[in-house]
Amino acid sequence: MSTERVSRTDKELWRSIAPERGVAPEAVSDIDFAAWLEGRLPEAAAARIEAAVGADPALRRAALDLADILGKPLPAAPARLAVRAQALVGFDAERETGRSGGWFGRLFASGPLFALQRAAMIAMVVVVAGAGFVMGGGLGDSFAQQRYGSDVQGASSTTTTTTSSELSDFFVSDGI
Amino acid sequence: MTELNQTDLQTLVTGNKRAWDRFVTAAAPLINAVVRRTMSSYRLGEDDVLDAAQDVFVRLCAGDFRLLKTYDPARAGLSTWLAVVARSAAVDHLRRRRQATEPLDDVPESALGVEDKHVEKLQIPQGLLTERQTLILKCLYDEERDVSEVAVLLKIDAQTVRSTHHKALLRLRAHFGEEPP
Repeated sequence: MSTERVSRTDKELWRSIAPERGVAPEAVSDIDFAAWLEGRLPEAAAARIEAAVGADPALRRAALDLADILGKPLPAAPARLAVRAQALVGFDAERETGRSGGWFGRLFASGPLFALQRAAMIAMVVVVAGAGFVMGGGLGDSFAQQRYGSDVQGASSTTTTTTSSELSDFFVSDGI
Repeated sequence: MTELNQTDLQTLVTGNKRAWDRFVTAAAPLINAVVRRTMSSYRLGEDDVLDAAQDVFVRLCAGDFRLLKTYDPARAGLSTWLAVVARSAAVDHLRRRRQATEPLDDVPESALGVEDKHVEKLQIPQGLLTERQTLILKCLYDEERDVSEVAVLLKIDAQTVRSTHHKALLRLRAHFGEEPP
Protein backbone atom coordinates (compact mmCIF):
# COMPACT_ATOMS: atom_id res chain seq x y z
CA MET A 1 0.00 0.00 0.00
CA SER A 2 1.28 3.45 -0.86
CA THR A 3 2.36 5.74 1.97
CA GLU A 4 2.15 8.81 -0.24
CA ARG A 5 0.61 11.84 1.49
CA VAL A 6 -0.56 15.06 -0.10
CA SER A 7 1.24 18.31 0.70
CA ARG A 8 0.57 20.00 4.04
CA THR A 9 -0.46 23.34 2.59
CA ASP A 10 -3.34 21.68 0.72
CA LYS A 11 -4.36 20.09 3.95
CA GLU A 12 -4.22 23.41 5.79
CA LEU A 13 -6.43 25.01 3.16
CA TRP A 14 -8.97 22.19 3.47
CA ARG A 15 -8.97 22.39 7.26
CA SER A 16 -9.74 26.10 7.07
CA ILE A 17 -12.87 25.36 5.05
CA ALA A 18 -16.08 24.29 6.74
CA PRO A 19 -18.26 21.59 5.26
CA GLU A 20 -21.27 22.82 3.32
CA ARG A 21 -24.05 24.01 5.59
CA GLY A 22 -27.57 22.63 5.54
CA VAL A 23 -26.63 19.39 3.83
CA ALA A 24 -28.11 16.59 5.90
CA PRO A 25 -26.76 13.12 5.09
CA GLU A 26 -29.25 11.30 2.89
CA ALA A 27 -30.36 7.84 3.99
CA VAL A 28 -28.76 5.16 1.82
CA SER A 29 -30.20 1.65 1.60
CA ASP A 30 -27.90 -1.35 2.08
CA ILE A 31 -28.39 -2.54 -1.49
CA ASP A 32 -27.70 0.94 -2.98
CA PHE A 33 -24.59 1.26 -0.84
CA ALA A 34 -23.41 -2.21 -1.93
CA ALA A 35 -24.09 -1.39 -5.59
CA TRP A 36 -22.10 1.84 -5.25
CA LEU A 37 -19.20 0.01 -3.57
CA GLU A 38 -19.10 -2.32 -6.56
CA GLY A 39 -19.19 0.60 -9.00
CA ARG A 40 -22.43 -0.67 -10.56
CA LEU A 41 -24.48 2.53 -10.31
CA PRO A 42 -25.00 4.97 -13.18
CA GLU A 43 -23.35 8.39 -12.76
CA ALA A 44 -26.38 10.24 -11.37
CA ALA A 45 -27.19 7.55 -8.80
CA ALA A 46 -23.50 7.26 -7.85
CA ALA A 47 -23.31 11.05 -7.30
CA ARG A 48 -26.25 10.84 -4.88
CA ILE A 49 -24.47 8.13 -2.84
CA GLU A 50 -21.15 10.03 -3.03
CA ALA A 51 -22.89 13.12 -1.61
CA ALA A 52 -24.28 11.04 1.26
CA VAL A 53 -20.92 9.36 1.91
CA GLY A 54 -19.17 12.75 1.78
CA ALA A 55 -21.63 14.27 4.25
CA ASP A 56 -21.66 11.42 6.80
CA PRO A 57 -18.29 10.56 8.43
CA ALA A 58 -19.62 7.21 9.72
CA LEU A 59 -20.76 6.17 6.26
CA ARG A 60 -17.41 7.32 4.82
CA ARG A 61 -15.46 5.20 7.30
CA ALA A 62 -17.76 2.28 6.56
CA ALA A 63 -17.14 2.67 2.82
CA LEU A 64 -13.35 2.82 3.23
CA ASP A 65 -13.29 -0.17 5.61
CA LEU A 66 -15.57 -2.32 3.46
CA ALA A 67 -13.67 -1.52 0.26
CA ASP A 68 -10.47 -2.56 2.01
CA ILE A 69 -11.93 -5.82 3.43
CA LEU A 70 -13.56 -6.83 0.15
CA GLY A 71 -10.33 -6.31 -1.76
CA LYS A 72 -8.20 -8.65 0.37
CA PRO A 73 -8.07 -12.37 1.13
CA LEU A 74 -10.04 -13.07 4.31
CA PRO A 75 -8.69 -14.87 7.38
CA ALA A 76 -10.60 -17.96 8.54
CA ALA A 77 -13.39 -17.38 11.03
CA PRO A 78 -13.33 -19.07 14.46
CA ALA A 79 -14.98 -22.51 14.30
CA ARG A 80 -17.32 -21.52 17.16
CA LEU A 81 -18.84 -18.77 15.02
CA ALA A 82 -19.89 -21.18 12.26
CA VAL A 83 -21.17 -23.82 14.71
CA ARG A 84 -23.39 -21.30 16.51
CA ALA A 85 -24.69 -19.82 13.27
CA GLN A 86 -25.45 -23.23 11.75
CA ALA A 87 -27.53 -24.12 14.82
CA LEU A 88 -29.88 -21.22 14.03
CA VAL A 89 -31.61 -23.23 11.30
CA GLY A 90 -32.67 -26.64 12.61
CA PHE A 91 -34.03 -29.82 11.10
CA ASP A 92 -37.69 -28.89 11.64
CA ALA A 93 -37.83 -26.71 8.54
CA GLU A 94 -36.37 -29.49 6.41
CA ARG A 95 -38.84 -31.99 7.83
CA GLU A 96 -41.67 -29.66 6.82
CA THR A 97 -40.50 -29.61 3.21
CA GLY A 98 -40.25 -33.44 3.06
CA ARG A 99 -43.84 -33.94 4.22
CA SER A 100 -45.43 -33.54 0.81
CA GLY A 101 -44.59 -37.06 -0.47
CA GLY A 102 -46.78 -39.04 1.97
CA TRP A 103 -45.56 -41.91 4.15
CA PHE A 104 -43.49 -43.63 1.46
CA GLY A 105 -42.14 -40.28 0.29
CA ARG A 106 -40.89 -39.52 3.79
CA LEU A 107 -39.56 -43.09 4.18
CA PHE A 108 -37.39 -42.81 1.10
CA ALA A 109 -36.72 -39.06 1.30
CA SER A 110 -33.66 -39.60 3.48
CA GLY A 111 -32.13 -42.34 1.31
CA PRO A 112 -32.42 -46.13 0.92
CA LEU A 113 -30.29 -46.84 4.00
CA PHE A 114 -32.83 -45.00 6.17
CA ALA A 115 -35.67 -46.98 4.55
CA LEU A 116 -33.79 -50.27 5.16
CA GLN A 117 -33.35 -49.38 8.82
CA ARG A 118 -37.05 -48.62 9.13
CA ALA A 119 -37.96 -51.94 7.41
CA ALA A 120 -35.65 -53.89 9.74
CA MET A 121 -37.25 -52.20 12.75
CA ILE A 122 -40.75 -53.08 11.51
CA ALA A 123 -39.72 -56.74 10.90
CA MET A 124 -38.26 -56.91 14.39
CA VAL A 125 -41.47 -55.56 15.90
CA VAL A 126 -43.55 -58.16 13.99
CA VAL A 127 -41.27 -61.04 15.18
CA VAL A 128 -41.36 -59.87 18.79
CA ALA A 129 -45.13 -59.42 18.69
CA GLY A 130 -45.61 -62.89 17.10
CA ALA A 131 -43.34 -64.56 19.63
CA GLY A 132 -45.19 -62.81 22.41
CA PHE A 133 -48.55 -64.01 21.07
CA VAL A 134 -47.39 -67.63 20.86
CA MET A 135 -45.82 -67.53 24.29
CA GLY A 136 -48.90 -65.86 25.67
CA GLY A 137 -51.12 -68.69 24.25
CA GLY A 138 -48.92 -71.44 25.78
CA LEU A 139 -48.99 -69.80 29.12
CA GLY A 140 -52.75 -69.49 28.82
CA ASP A 141 -53.12 -73.29 28.39
CA SER A 142 -50.91 -74.10 31.31
CA PHE A 143 -52.71 -71.53 33.42
CA ALA A 144 -56.06 -73.01 32.47
CA GLN A 145 -54.80 -76.49 33.41
CA GLN A 146 -53.52 -75.25 36.73
CA ARG A 147 -56.71 -73.33 37.46
CA TYR A 148 -59.35 -75.79 36.23
CA GLY A 149 -57.49 -79.19 35.95
CA SER A 150 -58.33 -80.48 39.54
CA ASP A 151 -62.05 -79.69 39.14
CA VAL A 152 -62.20 -81.64 35.87
CA GLN A 153 -60.57 -84.70 37.50
CA GLY A 154 -62.90 -84.42 40.48
CA ALA A 155 -65.93 -84.12 38.22
CA SER A 156 -64.97 -87.27 36.19
CA SER A 157 -64.41 -89.47 39.33
CA THR A 158 -67.76 -88.44 40.79
CA THR A 159 -69.50 -89.44 37.57
CA THR A 160 -67.84 -92.91 37.60
CA THR A 161 -68.83 -93.54 41.23
CA THR A 162 -72.41 -92.51 40.59
CA THR A 163 -72.66 -94.77 37.54
CA SER A 164 -71.26 -97.83 39.39
CA SER A 165 -73.64 -97.44 42.34
CA GLU A 166 -76.61 -97.15 39.94
CA LEU A 167 -75.57 -100.40 38.22
CA SER A 168 -75.22 -102.17 41.63
CA ASP A 169 -78.67 -100.98 42.62
CA PHE A 170 -80.11 -102.32 39.29
CA PHE A 171 -78.54 -105.75 39.77
CA VAL A 172 -79.60 -105.91 43.46
CA SER A 173 -83.19 -105.00 42.59
CA ASP A 174 -83.32 -107.81 40.03
CA GLY A 175 -81.97 -110.33 42.57
CA ILE A 176 -78.79 -111.00 40.69
CA MET B 1 -15.87 -15.06 -1.75
CA THR B 2 -16.55 -16.81 -5.07
CA GLU B 3 -18.25 -19.66 -3.23
CA LEU B 4 -20.41 -17.15 -1.37
CA ASN B 5 -21.49 -15.42 -4.57
CA GLN B 6 -22.56 -18.81 -5.99
CA THR B 7 -25.01 -19.45 -3.13
CA ASP B 8 -28.32 -20.98 -4.23
CA LEU B 9 -30.55 -18.34 -2.66
CA GLN B 10 -33.82 -19.95 -3.72
CA THR B 11 -32.99 -23.12 -1.75
CA LEU B 12 -31.50 -21.13 1.11
CA VAL B 13 -34.64 -19.09 1.80
CA THR B 14 -36.80 -22.25 1.96
CA GLY B 15 -35.03 -23.07 5.24
CA ASN B 16 -33.05 -26.01 3.85
CA LYS B 17 -30.60 -27.02 6.59
CA ARG B 18 -27.81 -28.13 4.24
CA ALA B 19 -28.05 -24.93 2.16
CA TRP B 20 -27.90 -22.86 5.35
CA ASP B 21 -24.84 -24.77 6.65
CA ARG B 22 -23.03 -24.25 3.33
CA PHE B 23 -23.96 -20.56 3.34
CA VAL B 24 -22.70 -20.11 6.92
CA THR B 25 -19.39 -21.81 6.06
CA ALA B 26 -18.92 -19.51 3.05
CA ALA B 27 -20.10 -16.29 4.76
CA ALA B 28 -18.44 -16.70 8.18
CA PRO B 29 -14.96 -15.38 7.17
CA LEU B 30 -16.43 -12.22 5.60
CA ILE B 31 -18.86 -11.51 8.45
CA ASN B 32 -16.11 -12.20 10.99
CA ALA B 33 -13.72 -9.78 9.23
CA VAL B 34 -16.31 -6.98 8.90
CA VAL B 35 -17.54 -7.28 12.50
CA ARG B 36 -13.96 -7.35 13.85
CA ARG B 37 -12.98 -4.26 11.83
CA THR B 38 -16.12 -2.36 12.92
CA MET B 39 -15.51 -3.16 16.59
CA SER B 40 -11.72 -2.84 16.45
CA SER B 41 -11.56 0.64 17.99
CA TYR B 42 -13.54 -0.55 21.01
CA ARG B 43 -11.77 -2.63 23.61
CA LEU B 44 -14.11 -5.59 23.45
CA GLY B 45 -13.55 -9.26 24.18
CA GLU B 46 -13.73 -12.20 21.78
CA ASP B 47 -17.20 -13.12 23.10
CA ASP B 48 -18.54 -9.68 22.14
CA VAL B 49 -17.21 -10.05 18.60
CA LEU B 50 -18.74 -13.52 18.27
CA ASP B 51 -22.06 -12.28 19.66
CA ALA B 52 -22.13 -9.44 17.13
CA ALA B 53 -21.32 -11.88 14.30
CA GLN B 54 -24.09 -14.18 15.54
CA ASP B 55 -26.45 -11.18 15.44
CA VAL B 56 -25.74 -10.86 11.71
CA PHE B 57 -26.77 -14.48 11.06
CA VAL B 58 -29.83 -14.06 13.31
CA ARG B 59 -30.88 -11.02 11.26
CA LEU B 60 -30.45 -12.95 8.03
CA CYS B 61 -32.68 -15.87 8.99
CA ALA B 62 -35.19 -14.07 11.25
CA GLY B 63 -38.82 -13.86 10.18
CA ASP B 64 -38.54 -16.69 7.67
CA PHE B 65 -35.39 -15.20 6.03
CA ARG B 66 -37.11 -11.85 5.50
CA LEU B 67 -33.84 -9.88 5.19
CA LEU B 68 -32.20 -12.39 2.83
CA LYS B 69 -35.31 -12.26 0.64
CA THR B 70 -34.80 -8.50 0.17
CA TYR B 71 -31.40 -9.05 -1.45
CA ASP B 72 -31.44 -8.42 -5.22
CA PRO B 73 -28.60 -10.22 -7.08
CA ALA B 74 -29.14 -7.99 -10.12
CA ARG B 75 -28.04 -4.92 -8.17
CA ALA B 76 -25.03 -6.04 -6.11
CA GLY B 77 -22.92 -9.10 -5.34
CA LEU B 78 -23.97 -11.15 -2.30
CA SER B 79 -20.58 -10.70 -0.60
CA THR B 80 -20.71 -6.88 -0.86
CA TRP B 81 -24.32 -6.74 0.34
CA LEU B 82 -23.52 -9.10 3.23
CA ALA B 83 -20.54 -6.94 4.21
CA VAL B 84 -22.82 -3.86 4.35
CA VAL B 85 -25.44 -5.77 6.40
CA ALA B 86 -22.73 -7.09 8.76
CA ARG B 87 -21.36 -3.59 9.31
CA SER B 88 -24.85 -2.21 10.13
CA ALA B 89 -25.52 -5.10 12.52
CA ALA B 90 -22.17 -4.60 14.28
CA VAL B 91 -22.84 -0.85 14.69
CA ASP B 92 -26.30 -1.64 16.14
CA HIS B 93 -24.72 -4.20 18.47
CA LEU B 94 -22.23 -1.59 19.71
CA ARG B 95 -25.01 0.96 20.18
CA ARG B 96 -27.09 -1.47 22.25
CA ARG B 97 -24.06 -2.42 24.31
CA ARG B 98 -23.19 1.23 24.95
CA GLN B 99 -26.76 1.98 25.96
CA ALA B 100 -26.64 -0.80 28.55
CA THR B 101 -23.53 0.21 30.48
CA GLU B 102 -20.08 1.08 29.29
CA PRO B 103 -17.12 2.64 31.09
CA LEU B 104 -15.96 5.89 29.50
CA ASP B 105 -12.49 4.40 28.95
CA ASP B 106 -13.93 1.82 26.54
CA VAL B 107 -15.30 4.46 24.15
CA PRO B 108 -12.74 5.56 21.52
CA GLU B 109 -11.82 9.24 21.48
CA SER B 110 -13.18 9.67 17.95
CA ALA B 111 -16.66 8.79 19.26
CA LEU B 112 -16.40 11.34 22.05
CA GLY B 113 -14.74 14.09 20.04
CA VAL B 114 -16.62 17.35 19.60
CA GLU B 115 -15.83 19.71 16.74
CA ASP B 116 -14.71 23.20 17.79
CA LYS B 117 -17.53 25.39 16.49
CA HIS B 118 -15.90 28.65 17.56
CA VAL B 119 -13.25 28.66 14.84
CA GLU B 120 -14.30 30.87 11.93
CA LYS B 121 -14.25 28.81 8.76
CA LEU B 122 -14.65 29.63 5.09
CA GLN B 123 -17.76 28.23 3.44
CA ILE B 124 -17.64 26.23 0.20
CA PRO B 125 -20.39 27.53 -2.06
CA GLN B 126 -22.75 24.87 -3.34
CA GLY B 127 -21.76 23.56 -6.78
CA LEU B 128 -18.12 24.68 -6.55
CA LEU B 129 -16.93 21.09 -6.19
CA THR B 130 -18.51 17.95 -7.55
CA GLU B 131 -19.68 15.26 -5.10
CA ARG B 132 -16.72 13.12 -6.12
CA GLN B 133 -14.20 15.92 -5.60
CA THR B 134 -15.63 16.63 -2.13
CA LEU B 135 -15.55 12.94 -1.24
CA ILE B 136 -11.93 12.58 -2.37
CA LEU B 137 -10.84 15.62 -0.34
CA LYS B 138 -12.69 14.34 2.74
CA CYS B 139 -11.15 10.89 2.43
CA LEU B 140 -7.64 12.33 1.99
CA TYR B 141 -7.78 15.07 4.63
CA ASP B 142 -10.55 14.25 7.13
CA GLU B 143 -10.01 10.50 7.15
CA GLU B 144 -6.26 10.80 6.39
CA ARG B 145 -6.34 7.89 3.94
CA ASP B 146 -3.79 7.15 1.22
CA VAL B 147 -4.46 7.89 -2.44
CA SER B 148 -4.39 4.12 -3.09
CA GLU B 149 -7.14 3.48 -0.49
CA VAL B 150 -9.38 6.11 -2.09
CA ALA B 151 -8.66 4.59 -5.51
CA VAL B 152 -9.80 1.15 -4.22
CA LEU B 153 -12.96 2.70 -2.77
CA LEU B 154 -13.95 4.51 -5.95
CA LYS B 155 -12.79 1.74 -8.33
CA ILE B 156 -10.54 4.18 -10.20
CA ASP B 157 -6.77 4.31 -10.58
CA ALA B 158 -4.56 6.29 -8.22
CA GLN B 159 -3.64 8.78 -10.96
CA THR B 160 -7.32 9.70 -11.43
CA VAL B 161 -7.60 10.32 -7.66
CA ARG B 162 -4.53 12.60 -7.81
CA SER B 163 -5.81 14.59 -10.81
CA THR B 164 -9.34 14.94 -9.29
CA HIS B 165 -7.75 16.14 -6.04
CA HIS B 166 -5.56 18.59 -7.94
CA LYS B 167 -8.48 20.06 -9.92
CA ALA B 168 -10.58 20.40 -6.75
CA LEU B 169 -7.82 22.34 -4.98
CA LEU B 170 -7.30 24.61 -7.98
CA ARG B 171 -11.01 25.49 -7.85
CA LEU B 172 -10.90 26.12 -4.11
CA ARG B 173 -7.78 28.31 -4.38
CA ALA B 174 -9.27 30.23 -7.29
CA HIS B 175 -12.51 30.81 -5.36
CA PHE B 176 -10.82 31.92 -2.11
CA GLY B 177 -8.10 33.89 -3.92
CA GLU B 178 -5.23 31.80 -2.66
CA GLU B 179 -1.98 31.24 -4.51
CA PRO B 180 -0.92 27.65 -5.19
CA PRO B 181 1.96 26.52 -2.92
